[in-house]
Amino acid sequence: MPRSIEVALDDMSIPAPDFDVRAYANDAHASYRDLLDLEAYASQPLSSDTVRALRYLQVVERGTMTHLRSVLVTATHKDARVTAFLITWAFEKYWIADALDQIIRANEGGTVDRTPFRTPVERTIRESIVANIVGLPMVAVHTALGTVDEWLMQAAYRRLIELEPHPQLADIVTRLLATKSRQLQFFEAQARHRLGESSRAQKVTRRRLAKTPWPIGARAEPSQNTEFFFRYLFGSQPSAITEIDELIDTLDGQNNLNLMKRAAAL
Amino acid sequence: MAFDIDRYTSTSKKVQWGDLDFTEFERNPLPDATLRSLRYMADVEYHTVCYLRDLLVTPSHKEVDVSAFMTMWNREEFWHGEALAKVLGAHEVTLDFDQLKATRLKLGWKDRLDPIKQSVLGNVIGKDFIAVHMIWGAANEWSAVAAYNRLADLEKHPVLSELLRRIAKQEARHVAFYATQARERLAKSKKAQVLARLALKGAWGPVGSSIMPADEVTHVMGHLFSGEEGLREIRKLDEHISRMPGLEGLTIVETSMKKYGVAA
Repeated sequence: MPRSIEVALDDMSIPAPDFDVRAYANDAHASYRDLLDLEAYASQPLSSDTVRALRYLQVVERGTMTHLRSVLVTATHKDARVTAFLITWAFEKYWIADALDQIIRANEGGTVDRTPFRTPVERTIRESIVANIVGLPMVAVHTALGTVDEWLMQAAYRRLIELEPHPQLADIVTRLLATKSRQLQFFEAQARHRLGESSRAQKVTRRRLAKTPWPIGARAEPSQNTEFFFRYLFGSQPSAITEIDELIDTLDGQNNLNLMKRAAAL
Repeated sequence: MAFDIDRYTSTSKKVQWGDLDFTEFERNPLPDATLRSLRYMADVEYHTVCYLRDLLVTPSHKEVDVSAFMTMWNREEFWHGEALAKVLGAHEVTLDFDQLKATRLKLGWKDRLDPIKQSVLGNVIGKDFIAVHMIWGAANEWSAVAAYNRLADLEKHPVLSELLRRIAKQEARHVAFYATQARERLAKSKKAQVLARLALKGAWGPVGSSIMPADEVTHVMGHLFSGEEGLREIRKLDEHISRMPGLEGLTIVETSMKKYGVAA
């Protein structure tokens, strides 16, 4: 291995600041099935718009393996702390998607969707080559992507229950938000730390954030579904979108990207 | 028999050791040879995420059941690593995240090229490649069950042996998934059978041999599988594999053990 890359990779031993990965892995949230109270939807079903939004959220949440793939083919996978986090993160996301699926099916009927995932395969090779040349800043890129995606997804969940404050749905979504907040803590602490350390990381991250279709996973979805997601959840409250852009502005080197304004096209 | 993925995911747990009395290791410490083997096993368990990476660049991950399984399996293996690290820790052998990173760094360029190679192969060959992954996974998990049970038998340690049997039980559930998948997919496709034979014969090695130094592989495999009883275990593994559709007559485990100098 060329020495410069070895040195660069060695810098990755930066611990996750203020975040105990072992404690997180230890308290991971598993299945929500016992908490769902699905019978409630028989007497008080959700609106079809809410169900459609839930389906979109579910598809995006369950796409963890696709996201993991693009992360693991890069130098990021060398960092055992990050992978320990990601293993647990994928586990928690699996159960989040499962909870959403259960709620959708309690409202719509139907069986588990077993059609293969839609994923853009052809990008992987290019991704791997590019990322391995770029080397170190990929951890910053990936954790920044995770941070921005969490900001958007959490805002979406909050809007979902504001628009339809169904008691059982609100209860579960609040629990999902608690799980997701802890994931965000890790992504955000890592992203801020790593971006703060390197202007190169800031530049690479900036390029990647600008190129990413939001939310992560939207690339594989029909565009009308993504349009619905933004229009339904944020159309009547565009300030929620502005707030996320303002948060992104606080990441080193990422100001004025207006990612959400552009993605939402409101 | 079909593998019930829903049942598997809803009963997937991290391996438990809180009820085991680790102070037993102070009174009854493990010999160095065992610690060396445990260190290897822990490294391999933690390394599962890198193996997962190689799976993810192929079409395998798109299948809903496979994806669900991989999520749980990967986490269970991580916790096996944690449990074994805990045993090592009780003997003042530390295995922390930074050391794991060092192992991964040592793999260097070869490791970086793997996903590319796998991706090209997997996407050119397509669905039949999933069968190769599944039989490969089955061979590895069968080996893991045998290894943990062997070490538990050899050591007869009240705490270690109990922990190893718990780990082996989880590995057995992984076997069930991989073997069911492999059997179905191999039975359906002649091309998959040819590919699987080729891959296993040409490239299979004892679990961990692609990431650990050859000396360590020789130590662990010799420790666990030498002698007549060891050979019986090795042959059982080959029997499992060769009972798969199209894989009759394969003796990949015995052949590769000989390569590492493990003798009956």
